[in-house]
Amino acid sequence: MLLPVAIDNGIHIPHYCWHPKLSIDGSCRMCQVEIEGNPKLAIACNTPIRDGMVVRTTTPAVQKARRGVLELLLVNHPLDCPICDKAGECLLQDYSFNFGSRQGRSREPRRKLQKRKDIGPRMILDQERCILCRRCVRFCREITGTFELAVFNMGDRSVLDILEDKPLANDYSICTADICPVGALESKEFHHRLRVWFLKKTPSVCPSCSNGCNITVDHYRERVWRLMPRRNDAVNQCWMCDHGRLNFAHVNSPDRLRRPLVRRNGRLETCEWDEAFATAATHLRRVAHATQGCGIGAVASPHLTNEEHFRFWQLLKVLSVPNVDVAVRTGSDDRFLIKAEKAANARGARDIGLRPGSEGVGLPAMLDAAASGSISVLYVCGPDLWETADRDLLGKAMERLEYLIVQDVFRSPLAERAHLVLPSLTWAEKIGTFTNHAGRVQQLQRAFAPLNGQPSDGEIFTRLLMQLSEGRWTFEPESILEEIAATVPAYAGLSYAGVGTQGVALAEGSAGATS
Amino acid sequence: MATRVVSVWRPRPMQQSWGRTAWAVVTGMWVTNRHFVRNLLGFIIRKPTTFTVQFPEQRLEFPNAFRGMPVLVQMDNGKERCVACGLCEWACPTDCITIFPAETADEIERYPEVFDINLSRCMFCGLCEEACPEEAIVMSQNVEVAVYSRRGTIWHKEDLLVPVSQLGKRLQHLHRGYDR
Repeated sequence: MLLPVAIDNGIHIPHYCWHPKLSIDGSCRMCQVEIEGNPKLAIACNTPIRDGMVVRTTTPAVQKARRGVLELLLVNHPLDCPICDKAGECLLQDYSFNFGSRQGRSREPRRKLQKRKDIGPRMILDQERCILCRRCVRFCREITGTFELAVFNMGDRSVLDILEDKPLANDYSICTADICPVGALESKEFHHRLRVWFLKKTPSVCPSCSNGCNITVDHYRERVWRLMPRRNDAVNQCWMCDHGRLNFAHVNSPDRLRRPLVRRNGRLETCEWDEAFATAATHLRRVAHATQGCGIGAVASPHLTNEEHFRFWQLLKVLSVPNVDVAVRTGSDDRFLIKAEKAANARGARDIGLRPGSEGVGLPAMLDAAASGSISVLYVCGPDLWETADRDLLGKAMERLEYLIVQDVFRSPLAERAHLVLPSLTWAEKIGTFTNHAGRVQQLQRAFAPLNGQPSDGEIFTRLLMQLSEGRWTFEPESILEEIAATVPAYAGLSYAGVGTQGVALAEGSAGATS
Repeated sequence: MATRVVSVWRPRPMQQSWGRTAWAVVTGMWVTNRHFVRNLLGFIIRKPTTFTVQFPEQRLEFPNAFRGMPVLVQMDNGKERCVACGLCEWACPTDCITIFPAETADEIERYPEVFDINLSRCMFCGLCEEACPEEAIVMSQNVEVAVYSRRGTIWHKEDLLVPVSQLGKRLQHLHRGYDR
């Protein structure tokens, strides 16, 4: 068809109802163009392309047609722009400004419909604002297959609504707010929160499951305000699930750990970073010397980046620890975007070598060993161990453990039992790469710098390495990815430039093998 | 390239002398004393000849185009006109406005839960007033904004609300601006 070809070649033809991932509707009539040999204007979205076609997109006839379409759309569109969440990224605003006329000629009152209609647990509908492009209707029909939304009545009385007994409650419902060209469908979570022109956008990867949907982090004043899907045809097309989209409150939380905690006289007290590193290094070194590393168990977090996993792996290698595994929380999955592993980078951890070695033990066995006393120091990263492990076994292990180091974003129940708690950073404050379930390496960018220059997990591992081994260690993601490429066969040849914004797939069937 | 010497005429600097200095002092003092005596006589016979406002007791009435501190227009029902659209926050060159929007069940569904103006940063430029689509923030005649603490320079919504009846002249002035 003509419209996608024009867009791919950098020619912008204004359009409302056409969407790259939805079927053609042809209802908005905004993309009309003049085609040589055609007696009338034709809509670009539904005109097949052919050799030698001559198309004009800016002739007076086309401009007049666009002006007419916009005038008719604005006959009933309320002047809600100052209170509409879409203002600033609204296609009706943009096109009216660029192609519309400044004066309306209509003298009829605008039609009154229902505003602020609660149509689902995460969405509200403003029927007055709707321009009836039917993108959302097609989304619910074609992408989710749930058929919640429909346009009722005909002609001037057409109105978008949900079927009476069926709220818009599918797992991808907020995507309808993304594709809505105006502010008719809005997510409750972002409703009246912030004007969009304040937001800064950072491309990133969703951390909520192993699918690794590409997203943009919309942030302002060191806070994340919303997550939006970013188009990547190999991963998530233009969509993301509601759970992933709403799962960012932990980044903004005031309850986050900001300084390390150390146990003194049975109570956890804040301490300086240097003291925390020195204490951790002392205990790790002592036990590693006494038991040749077998007395230490390590649980890697599936939420860290590949670069951080690599530093953790190096740290464990220096201590010659064989007992290492990744704890991953699992949940439900569907056949679309939601995957069972509820963490972004478990695959990366296993690829890099954070799994039990030949003489080491994996997770349930590691806790058994801790409960029986053969493992006396446990280094736990992330919250997943607490959520996945058998509580009885974990409790027994906690009682026997000589020293427990926990690295987490929050003061979790596991951290309450720890001897040393190291605060870690969230994905929004990190630079790095994630490997998704299918082995696609994708890049995370830092949305904003952490408060008070708090070190990232990778920097924590690096500082421990500086304490425990000779040599100079720094944590620079670019050069560490080069190190990974040189060490892990499956990741050979990777670089940040190669990963780019869309990620790069690892070679088929290669589960990284490091000895 | 050949160079050429050109002589330029300059006036000679004035010669310093005690006579000139004394004469300048005398003429200067003559002007000062003339004004002093005239003002003194005018004050005594209650017909002041000069333009001096005795500030705390006397105040000027400013023209309608005068820009004092920005205030929020309070409607007759006691609520603010502001819908927290954030355009003034965006237009503000000194970033002195902070708005947190919220939702109500009223017909106008959006209102500012927090509307703070940091008057130690505000420069009374009036761009917020110009940006406002609702005529909800206008420049008042008030310039007396001195406080004892830095915290006091931040004015909250309750402090900024002024009934619409007191702002009629400024609103008229704005309406005249639209016609032009």
